[in-house]
Amino acid sequence: MSQMSRWIAAAMVLAAVAPAAADEAVRFDENETAMILRHGPWPQPPVRDPSNRVSGNPAAIALGRALFFERRLSPGGVVSCAHCHAASRSWTDARAQAAGIGELVRNTPSLWNVGRNRWFGWDGGSDSLWSFAIRPILHPAEMGADAGHVALSLRADRQLACLYEGAFGLPGNRSPANDERVLVNAAKALAAYVETFVSGRTPFDDFRDALERGDAASAARYPLEAQRGLKIFAGRGNCAMCHFGPNFSNGEFHDTGIPFFVKGGVDPGRHAGIQRLGADRFNLLGNYNDDRSGDSATKTRHVDAQHRNFGEFKTPSLRNVELSAPYMHNGRFATLREVVLHYSEIRADRLHSDGEALLKPLKLSPREADDLVAFLRSLTDPQAEQTALALSGIPNRCAGSTSR
Amino acid sequence: MLRLLLALAAGAPLVARACEPPAGFSMRADSERYAVFFRADPRVISVGNYFSVEAVACAKAGGTAPEGLKVDAQMPAHRHGMNSRATVERAAPGRFLARGLMFHMPGTWQIVFDVQRAGETERATRDLAIK
Repeated sequence: MSQMSRWIAAAMVLAAVAPAAADEAVRFDENETAMILRHGPWPQPPVRDPSNRVSGNPAAIALGRALFFERRLSPGGVVSCAHCHAASRSWTDARAQAAGIGELVRNTPSLWNVGRNRWFGWDGGSDSLWSFAIRPILHPAEMGADAGHVALSLRADRQLACLYEGAFGLPGNRSPANDERVLVNAAKALAAYVETFVSGRTPFDDFRDALERGDAASAARYPLEAQRGLKIFAGRGNCAMCHFGPNFSNGEFHDTGIPFFVKGGVDPGRHAGIQRLGADRFNLLGNYNDDRSGDSATKTRHVDAQHRNFGEFKTPSLRNVELSAPYMHNGRFATLREVVLHYSEIRADRLHSDGEALLKPLKLSPREADDLVAFLRSLTDPQAEQTALALSGIPNRCAGSTSR
Repeated sequence: MLRLLLALAAGAPLVARACEPPAGFSMRADSERYAVFFRADPRVISVGNYFSVEAVACAKAGGTAPEGLKVDAQMPAHRHGMNSRATVERAAPGRFLARGLMFHMPGTWQIVFDVQRAGETERATRDLAIK
């Protein structure tokens, strides 16, 4: 179906879904309609990361799943990835700020659909999911390990060693170079596993697809308050400028007026993220990128550090956002309503003086705030919890090893 | 990409006597003295996808082609630019290839060409509606 015919069909449906009461009718203009259609379809085709040669590889996914829940990756067996990214909590931890071995200053992001990101972490300090997986393993306040510890853990445990061999072959003898390669491979296996965290369809997706195919009866099942919230989201709220596309994120960084002071200093956000990215030996310009075409490193090669990056943080996806409270990069808000009210009353003096001129106070009425929250809740996959629990099931036992 | 560069290099002995759009260059930006004909690769620029720009710059009054070109873009209504910095290489006199552009929001973007010749720079712009 051409774009024009989709819009015409959508316009016909939008006229039809308006309820009888004139004061409650929701009508979307052409621009809002086009914007709504850009937030799908869902699900999208599976992600395959060209920088990770085991992306989508079942053997690597099995190893990644075992490692994700493996506390022995941290010295002393204290924490695993799942310590902060709990399946029962929508791959986050329900804390305002994360805590691994020590206390951290940022909120744990959910991992739903994380494989679709361009940058990773609130500051985008990583340019691939696998290099992002290395960061907490090595961070002294998160898992506090090093390459030698990870490699030793993989060699010492028969199951892990067997799974590793199935995905990558033998790890080689202990040496700094081999240990680092094992660390990177472990991270690539973790990334292959986390790429499978794909959320399912939502009430919004049903509405959006109904518009596209001209199905007025199905579109009318979408709650009226969510329709009103969607109109704000796609229209005067400007929310969809950043929360754009099927994953409800443009994958970039913005100053949203959240104070960036932290205990003992400030969190520079994207500004420091770009510096860290440049200094990261595991970035896509390095030797561990499996994409020989070089295309996957285009973003890293061309990223531009600017003064306005100070205090910018990544636009999070909104899929399953209802399940990942608290919100913002520092977990400042406990509820979606608090987030909506922040944007309703946002203070211009909190925004970067040479930053973008996109955010203005929305001055929402109480009903409009409720509507926007209703819309955000319509982005929840009703099967999310079951899907997460299924993904976190007991790892497959390794079928056997030729060397052990 | 190599094929593209070879095509660009083979495209013309470019001393820009006539300032006419080369075949396949559907977009144009103007400064007072220069015209910049350009096209994107991929042809359709979409939000969140990196693209390259092939540009041919020429003096409207004829004469020697510009020596250099810088390429950037901004969203004037939002008061921000791109989050990436394009690199530009000269493929032939008057012909340039800019890599690493990306528009991260829908809306009106303004692509900016700074045309350089004999130590002077002139700016040519063109608005692009990105959906």
